[in-house]
Amino acid sequence: MQILAEAEDLPKTANIQTQLISLWMAPVFGAVLLIAFVAFPGFVPPMSPDMTAGQVAQFYRDNTAMIRFTMITFNLCGVMLLPFFMVIVIQMKRMATQSHVFAYCYLTAAVSGATLYALADIFYLVAAFRPDRNPELVMLLNDMAWMIFIAPVGAFVAQNVFLGLAIYFDDGPNPVFGRWVGHYAIATALAMAPAAGAAVFTTGPLAWNGGVSFWLRNGAFALFVVVMSVVLRNVLHRQAVEEGVAR
Amino acid sequence: MSSTVSAESLPGADPVHSAPSASAGKRDVWLVFWIVPAFFITFGVIFFALARVMPPPRPDVTTDQMAHFFHAHALTIQIGFGVLILIVGGAGAANGIIGYHMKRMTSGSVMAYAYMGAMSVGVLPGCLLVAFCFLTAVYRPNRDPQLLALLYDLGLLSYVGSLGCFSTMYFALAVAILYDKNQIFPKWLAYVSIWQIVTEIMAMPVFVSKAGPFAWNGSISFWIGVVVFGFWLCCVIVFLRKATDRQPVDEPHLD
Repeated sequence: MQILAEAEDLPKTANIQTQLISLWMAPVFGAVLLIAFVAFPGFVPPMSPDMTAGQVAQFYRDNTAMIRFTMITFNLCGVMLLPFFMVIVIQMKRMATQSHVFAYCYLTAAVSGATLYALADIFYLVAAFRPDRNPELVMLLNDMAWMIFIAPVGAFVAQNVFLGLAIYFDDGPNPVFGRWVGHYAIATALAMAPAAGAAVFTTGPLAWNGGVSFWLRNGAFALFVVVMSVVLRNVLHRQAVEEGVAR
Repeated sequence: MSSTVSAESLPGADPVHSAPSASAGKRDVWLVFWIVPAFFITFGVIFFALARVMPPPRPDVTTDQMAHFFHAHALTIQIGFGVLILIVGGAGAANGIIGYHMKRMTSGSVMAYAYMGAMSVGVLPGCLLVAFCFLTAVYRPNRDPQLLALLYDLGLLSYVGSLGCFSTMYFALAVAILYDKNQIFPKWLAYVSIWQIVTEIMAMPVFVSKAGPFAWNGSISFWIGVVVFGFWLCCVIVFLRKATDRQPVDEPHLD
């Protein structure tokens, strides 16, 4: 995006630039999180709920360094995606044919979801902190870590439903997002919703290591961040052109 | 993309679609409003009928009795809290629409933001942590009873004892209502909200008292708070409906 010279110092230009920074945090920290994800010895393939307490404790003893690398990275960089979701809030507040109540709902749901993400890695790190603890206790921490990491999809599902509804209600002559983005947001919500079953099922596709709860859920989330990065970049460019700060 | 397109540059291009852009409308506010009672009814069914957190099981029982509680209610805990973690975003709808109507008050946006901030945080200690504790407890039926007892205490103390998020929320709501001249909510709802802070203060002893009126299932620490909260919630839903109903269709959207 090329900012016009005469618009460089205007507040409306800064509004575009800060959104661009927030937007670019998504691919940058997304890549960091992806590296951390692949580096975790218990993600590819995901740890099975069938492991005995002894095996879980052994896993934390054998892989302490990599568990710490991944989870400290998740801890530091995970919530760095929040500014990206705040760009979506700002764009929802540009929608002309609605009250913006969806934007506030999206904002509070995003914050609630981030608190859960910020909590999950702590449980992995506590389990790795003293892997010689009683194996029953290590397994308890591991169970809570996996459950909180995979199962609580409700906040993100709600965010995407609010985004989808907001896009459907943005039916004026100059909508912020294309209508397909609404369909895509709802589809992502539907793909991630079944992962709530990871809190209950110990085997099969809904268990926390299953195809639906682990791969479909995490894949849909990652793809959403990638697709929305491109979509939001185009939306921001259009906003900048409309407001006369860029070509 | 190359040319600036705005509503006024296309006068009458599409009268059907350009008409609503003059006003914000409020179909969306109504839609979000109806999520709120639907969410709280489901929430009530989950906490009262399925997860057996309401009324709370006793704090003054033996480790084996706590383990027995989880064994006896494993299935309904899994159904109830499994659904809860899927629909918990409904709390976002409630926070969003209350924050929205608070921003319509003449009292400024700061209390609306304080309300939304406090409640966004409150979701975790106030309802999700007990869900994780109970779901973890019943996930492996043969866990050591001492660990089940730990999850029992952690879940219930978090649920009954998360006082600050809600006190802050009630405070923000009360101040916003008292300074509002748009009469979005009636003034007496502010006094009910302040009374709610009193019930949160009366719940402080749950962290100390294992039996009696100040325990986490006690008549003072729990029941007075629950009754007043139920009354408060019904009032909020009724007045959200009135506020949405009275809002002019042509009111512009908020900053």
